[in-house]
Amino acid sequence: MTFDVGLVFGSIPKMLVGLGLTLELLFLSSFIGLALALVTLLMRISGRWFLVTPAVVYIYIFRGTPILVQIFVIYYGLPQFEFIREGMLWPLLREPFWCCILALSLNAGAYVSEILRGGVLGVDKGLLEAASALGISKTHRFIYITSPIAIRLSLPAYSNDIISMTKATALASTVTLLDMTGVARTLVAQTFAPYEIFISVALIYIAMAWMIQKGFGMAEKRMSRHLKPTAG
Amino acid sequence: MKLSGNRLAQTIANAYTVVFRGTPELLVLLIVYFGAAVTLTAIAQSFDASIKFIDVPPFWAGAFAIALIVGAYMTETFRGAFLGVDPGLVEAARALGLSKFQTFVYVRIPQMWRLALPNFGNHMLSLMKDTALISVIGVEEIVFVAEMATTVTLKPFTMYIVVALIYLCITSVITLAVMALEKYANKHLAASR
Repeated sequence: MTFDVGLVFGSIPKMLVGLGLTLELLFLSSFIGLALALVTLLMRISGRWFLVTPAVVYIYIFRGTPILVQIFVIYYGLPQFEFIREGMLWPLLREPFWCCILALSLNAGAYVSEILRGGVLGVDKGLLEAASALGISKTHRFIYITSPIAIRLSLPAYSNDIISMTKATALASTVTLLDMTGVARTLVAQTFAPYEIFISVALIYIAMAWMIQKGFGMAEKRMSRHLKPTAG
Repeated sequence: MKLSGNRLAQTIANAYTVVFRGTPELLVLLIVYFGAAVTLTAIAQSFDASIKFIDVPPFWAGAFAIALIVGAYMTETFRGAFLGVDPGLVEAARALGLSKFQTFVYVRIPQMWRLALPNFGNHMLSLMKDTALISVIGVEEIVFVAEMATTVTLKPFTMYIVVALIYLCITSVITLAVMALEKYANKHLAASR
């Protein structure tokens, strides 16, 4: 058994095409997921039961089931119903790409809203009391005091979530999408050289995770720069 | 390994965590499954050239892959918990004449366990969800059976929703169990209040 380096270099162009799809999945679904998470967060902390209950149920369901099952329910499951096949969303739901985006965003929404809630709960109560003593309205308190601090507090957990999102995009290959893992699987089926191809793909994923970690590390440093003791 | 003073052991342990935290679980599974098949075939062929191909039982490939992944996450959790144990306690134990091994077993592990529990529970949950991936390499677990059932009944939505519900039940049970364990581990704290 040999490790064929030439094969690795030969398959790089094909993998880069897959990388494009992986990044597309990652950015689109983390963006939609963040928007969903914000809505869910506001519902969750609103304190009104008819808003809190749906948010809690949504979070519970999407955090309690595997992403693979969610993707399968949406991609294979939804076409079972007549009204979806006739409905206006069918052109989108027919495509595995949009099914994956939908599943990943819904999943990210559930996880990120919990992360953000942790951040909001971590904001010092004294600050809010001080603000209300100064006569700042509830909405303004949330926008100008809670949000900046909550964002800073939830950044580390959020970066972890983005890394797991990157890894979750690999699941898109199970519904015939040719993302990086999908491309690798076809290549392996053709060449039967699993080590060369899968390991080089794994290295790309690791590099992506590393970059995300560094990027968020820098953002974190910048956001907490006021906390550093000023020298001189 | 991460706790040992040996630099080589530390580097290996570090590389292990970095690699497995950065690679998608699905990819690890595929590498283990297909990689093991190729390696075993090569080894077998060096002994007996007539062997064409050896199939790895997918169940063991899957179990091994998941063990690798969970191991990587657990080391981080346990390391954090060990570092969280008050060094004063360890020093006190040493001063009382307990050997290094005794300190580890009687002082550090019970303390560390309490700190590690919440994270440990989270990892159990993600482990539970990772098992769904094994259906990709053809082990007959819930998702795979649902796929089979779908081809017979032509009702994919019903099948997969049932699978989701089963997972939801299992994860709820794990959550409750971890909560109960946490309560048990912290019972001396509750009493002193």
